[in-house]
Amino acid sequence: MLALRDLQSRFFDSLARQPGAGPASFDPTFIECVESRGPLAASERIDIYAQMYFARLLDVLQGDFSRVAHLLGCDRFHTLAADYLAQHPSTHPSLRHLGQGFPAFLRERADIADLPFLSDLAELEWARLTVFDAPDSVPLRIEHLQSIAPEQWPTLRLQTIPAFHVTRHAWPVHELWQAAEDEAREESAPQPAPTVLRVWREGVSVYHARIDTPELVAFERILAGEPFAVVCAALESVLSAEEAAATIGSLLLRWIEDGILAQLPE
Amino acid sequence: MAIAVPYLGHGIGLRTQHFPRLWEGTARVDWFEAITENFMIPGGRPLAALEKARAAAPLVLHGVSLSLGSTDPVNTAYLEELHALIQRFEPAWVSDHLCWGSVGGHYAHDLLPLPYSEEAITVAVENIRTVQDTLGRQILIENVSSYLTYTHSTMPEWEFIAEIAQQADCGILLDVNNIYVSAFNHQFDPVAYIHHIPPARVGQIHLAGHSDKGTYLFDTHDGPVIDPVWDLYRLAVRHCGRVSTLVEWDDQIPEFEVVRAEAERARELEAEELERSYARSA
Repeated sequence: MLALRDLQSRFFDSLARQPGAGPASFDPTFIECVESRGPLAASERIDIYAQMYFARLLDVLQGDFSRVAHLLGCDRFHTLAADYLAQHPSTHPSLRHLGQGFPAFLRERADIADLPFLSDLAELEWARLTVFDAPDSVPLRIEHLQSIAPEQWPTLRLQTIPAFHVTRHAWPVHELWQAAEDEAREESAPQPAPTVLRVWREGVSVYHARIDTPELVAFERILAGEPFAVVCAALESVLSAEEAAATIGSLLLRWIEDGILAQLPE
Repeated sequence: MAIAVPYLGHGIGLRTQHFPRLWEGTARVDWFEAITENFMIPGGRPLAALEKARAAAPLVLHGVSLSLGSTDPVNTAYLEELHALIQRFEPAWVSDHLCWGSVGGHYAHDLLPLPYSEEAITVAVENIRTVQDTLGRQILIENVSSYLTYTHSTMPEWEFIAEIAQQADCGILLDVNNIYVSAFNHQFDPVAYIHHIPPARVGQIHLAGHSDKGTYLFDTHDGPVIDPVWDLYRLAVRHCGRVSTLVEWDDQIPEFEVVRAEAERARELEAEELERSYARSA
């Protein structure tokens, strides 16, 4: 008779070592511990759990990476998910974290070379999930910004809300993300193009948008905790002084409108 | 000893598909049961929905990942998160399953059955005590549907769960549908199961639909409660008396009213059975 820990380890291995592989992958010693009763043999009973295990986790990955799954098609996504789960069994009580390593896993796969942008797209999908349930916060309002005295601006440290990420990609993933949703759209072969996106949540809705070099430069300084004067100086390193002044004004308005700046500490 | 939980009436599981009803303020029901892990997140829409649900009706937290029968130690990070969720939402009670789902730090995200053995009793009791000591409250443990049993089980399931509840001094969430499913799958008598459950330990009853796969029944929660399960519910009411009851519907989830109608049917059957009991005792 197996000790409980050994029994549980062998049961888990039977489910997780080769997800979706069926009874041939079950631990023979574990099969002997299971009763064959009525119309179902022991291995058939274990297989009910094995199928549930893979179906549930596959479903989670398909939901979390729906556009990647769509582009791959059912069979290829199924194969990739099985391999991913065999290498990355869940280590967290919540399924929320299951796909954390999936973008990096895709990056290493040689058998999806025909879709070289897939890992980048997976990174965007994961970033959207991350901001979906990031901590709540109160966004900065325009009235608050207008109440700041001129002499306070140079040392002002703007902060983004917690539900905000900047993601960098080698492909125009925002276009691929949209194309994967719009099946009727005529698709030309995507071309690599360095792309930076901001991903954020406004209320309970998640958005992403491409940002240009000046906006990225400004965000880099804000995310580094630099004061407003440094943000402006950074902009002046990529724009003329006149353009920089106009740009920071319009950026501030856009960020306020999108709700991505956090309320300033009292 | 008994489990000290209030009677809340007849509730339904809180599901994403019904979140819009919370925002509309039209999700009227005796109480909600929320899947704990779905709300162990920092912020966003699910927690906003849970706030709405909590404002609309009493709330209970029902976990799937405590892994009370695991030989791994109880996950302390999970317990801390659960404790924080309890403090924020003040559920009427907290429950999880008498099963295991993790070993060696890996999670199966399933409710895997335990052997009904003295060793498994010792492990589960120790884990439940740890949880209850950390949370500072009793929890309810639910009997799961199962598709396999072990050659080295030494007792029936009802004896196993009753013994653990007694030793750990916790309550029981009696899932009548799970009893029906497991009774079919393992050829035992569901009536005997219910008769052997200590009534004073039962703090909640679950009802749900399941699927007939021909050679076994599958606990899918994707349809209405079938008549034989309603009959078992009547028996559970006769045996346990008035117990808060909840309808689970997790797949192919219909309109809010359809799920609530199942809860209303449970209310009617409970009333009928309690009336008969009073008439018999009068």
